[in-house]
Amino acid sequence: MNIRAFLGIVTVHVLHFGIRLVHRGGTAFPGRIALKICPNLLGVLSRGVRTVAITGTNGKTTSARMIEQAFSDSGMDCVANRSGANLLSGITTEFAMRCTLSGKCKSKWAVIECDEAAARRVFPQLRPEIVVVTNLFRDQLDRYGEVTHTLENIREGLKSVPEALLCLNADCSLCSSLAEDLPNKALFFGVEKSAAHETQPPEISDATHCIRCRTHYDYDYVTYGHLGGFRCPKCGYSRHAADVAVTAIDSTDSAGSRVRIRIGKTEQPVRVNLPAMYNIYNAAGAIAAATAMGLPAGSAINAVGSFHCGFGRMEQFDIGEKGAKMMLVKNPAGCDQVLEFLSDMDGEFDLVMCLNDNGADGTDVSWIWDACFEKLSILGDRLHTVTVSGIRAADLWVRLKYAGVAPEKISLERDYELLTQKISQMDKPVYIVPTYTAMLDFRAHLIKKCGGSDFWEG
Amino acid sequence: MNLKICHMYPDVLNLYGDRGNILCLRRRLEWRGIDVTVESAGIGARPHLAECDLVFIGGGQDFEQEVLLEDLHSGKDEEVKASIADGVTFLAICGGYQMLGTYYETFDGHRCDFIGALDLYTVGSKQRMIGNYMFTCTPESGGSTVVGFENHSGRTHLGPGVKPLGTVTSGFGNNGEDKTEGARYKNVFATYSHGPLLPKNPELCDFILKTALERKYGAVSLEPLNDEAERAAHGEMARRLGG
Repeated sequence: MNIRAFLGIVTVHVLHFGIRLVHRGGTAFPGRIALKICPNLLGVLSRGVRTVAITGTNGKTTSARMIEQAFSDSGMDCVANRSGANLLSGITTEFAMRCTLSGKCKSKWAVIECDEAAARRVFPQLRPEIVVVTNLFRDQLDRYGEVTHTLENIREGLKSVPEALLCLNADCSLCSSLAEDLPNKALFFGVEKSAAHETQPPEISDATHCIRCRTHYDYDYVTYGHLGGFRCPKCGYSRHAADVAVTAIDSTDSAGSRVRIRIGKTEQPVRVNLPAMYNIYNAAGAIAAATAMGLPAGSAINAVGSFHCGFGRMEQFDIGEKGAKMMLVKNPAGCDQVLEFLSDMDGEFDLVMCLNDNGADGTDVSWIWDACFEKLSILGDRLHTVTVSGIRAADLWVRLKYAGVAPEKISLERDYELLTQKISQMDKPVYIVPTYTAMLDFRAHLIKKCGGSDFWEG
Repeated sequence: MNLKICHMYPDVLNLYGDRGNILCLRRRLEWRGIDVTVESAGIGARPHLAECDLVFIGGGQDFEQEVLLEDLHSGKDEEVKASIADGVTFLAICGGYQMLGTYYETFDGHRCDFIGALDLYTVGSKQRMIGNYMFTCTPESGGSTVVGFENHSGRTHLGPGVKPLGTVTSGFGNNGEDKTEGARYKNVFATYSHGPLLPKNPELCDFILKTALERKYGAVSLEPLNDEAERAAHGEMARRLGG
């Protein structure tokens, strides 16, 4: 190891210690400074560590927690960026904190989520053995540009690791196209027609035309968004057969789903410890990655049924008479899945939504008009009240009004302290739906009120 | 009274919440008891634009542009031109706005012919013009202040045959140079403003609705609505941008 790498590691340790001393969360900062001293520090620290990397628009954190659970259940200790710091700097911090000062990593394994735009900088150093691509949807267009640009960013990153096994969402025509022209071996996970309910993609779909020849896709079935059994009538590009395939959804409720998954040739019952279709995909992807890493299928299945994600992903808070659940949203596809989940709830509930427009949320909040808030307007009495908050609270207010939510149900509360008090007096189950930085801010208030773990403690 | 709206290319021009404009037009008519029908005309559809009162075209991705231009040049472009000349009200945003012009020249000099209904052209640049912005509509477009979000790399230059929709007070606008934003020609309203444009700018929305209704019914006065939410969202952004 060279002197630069040594100085880099020392820098991370010192800065990280300092940051904890002042009780601030930032995991990216120490890595950022250390990379200035040693630009290939991540490459040095992750050498010899067997890594699963997870990228894609939605489900990175949840998939990573599922895979990590499978590893730890098997007694395999992993490096993981649990706080969600998923750029080169944050990932470097995580590795440095798990290394000795001589640069030797204390873990043999790593489960790392990686930002889509950062893949081209992270993968060449991280050299993952397996790369999971969860899905691709329109997301933070002000930052990433159109969805095909995001796909190109991931492709660029993968070009540096031709030996990595790709674990791709078979139902996403964008993701699965990565297997077409890269030399990497690939395996696929997906949901079969027998477990799907829709026949056509929604009015707004992020992949209407063939990625190869730009002909309009035909669909045999759709699960949500543009995901499903796509087929190009002109060039023949179509859904790959899934190696890990969800064949049936037997039941689903607010706590999770019971599904059947075919792994290789064997179909097995699987419990997914988070509700909604997007988490069924996350589970299938996690099982595919964990088994490809050599873990027994049974361990992977147990992991998706027992893991806890927390950190804004269906995170439970003991507040109000019936408790509150927090569901992070970042983009229309994720928001639609949350709205779908709320539509399926039995009984009345109160909804709290917080919209911010900081860099990490996307500075353009127009995406709320691409999400189907109209679903809330047909819930009648089941939707008891909606409180809007966050920097762009008034934009949400307008969106809900035009979606047809009864005006008398909507109120605005910007002050998180007062909002916390308001929630503590609610007598129905509460669902809190924030964007990323609103989640960080508001979660801190909720934790102060009802306890829980701060994110830098993992 | 009733208004017939045509939403052109909702299948490919549907980025940045632009469909919120259709919802806004629809609701503000419905709340006033005016009937409204919305026809979606995607790739391959043959809408009768001449029978429509208001045509909406949004912004989209570069990826589908080829497919779109092929469809447009199969005769739809002439129909768009004819109905604009005939006084049909149009609202075009970003990519839809550029498309009504004569051409788009990419940064490396590749030229793409557009509809040519409006005397304007667009040249691609390396720098993306992106962020919240604000402009004031000219008196002939109602004079209201508009807040929105722009996200374009094309710089649009207006010819003598069109007027700007407004003057930029914060942000880039058409080209980041001459302070103009958008274009007006006959009953065409064209702008770079996403956000989407209309929900946070109800005055402009009503001005456009009035334009379309008056062509059909003569002088119309629109009943005022409770715009508390809209004004809150508008005011917040206007204050942030120093207006």
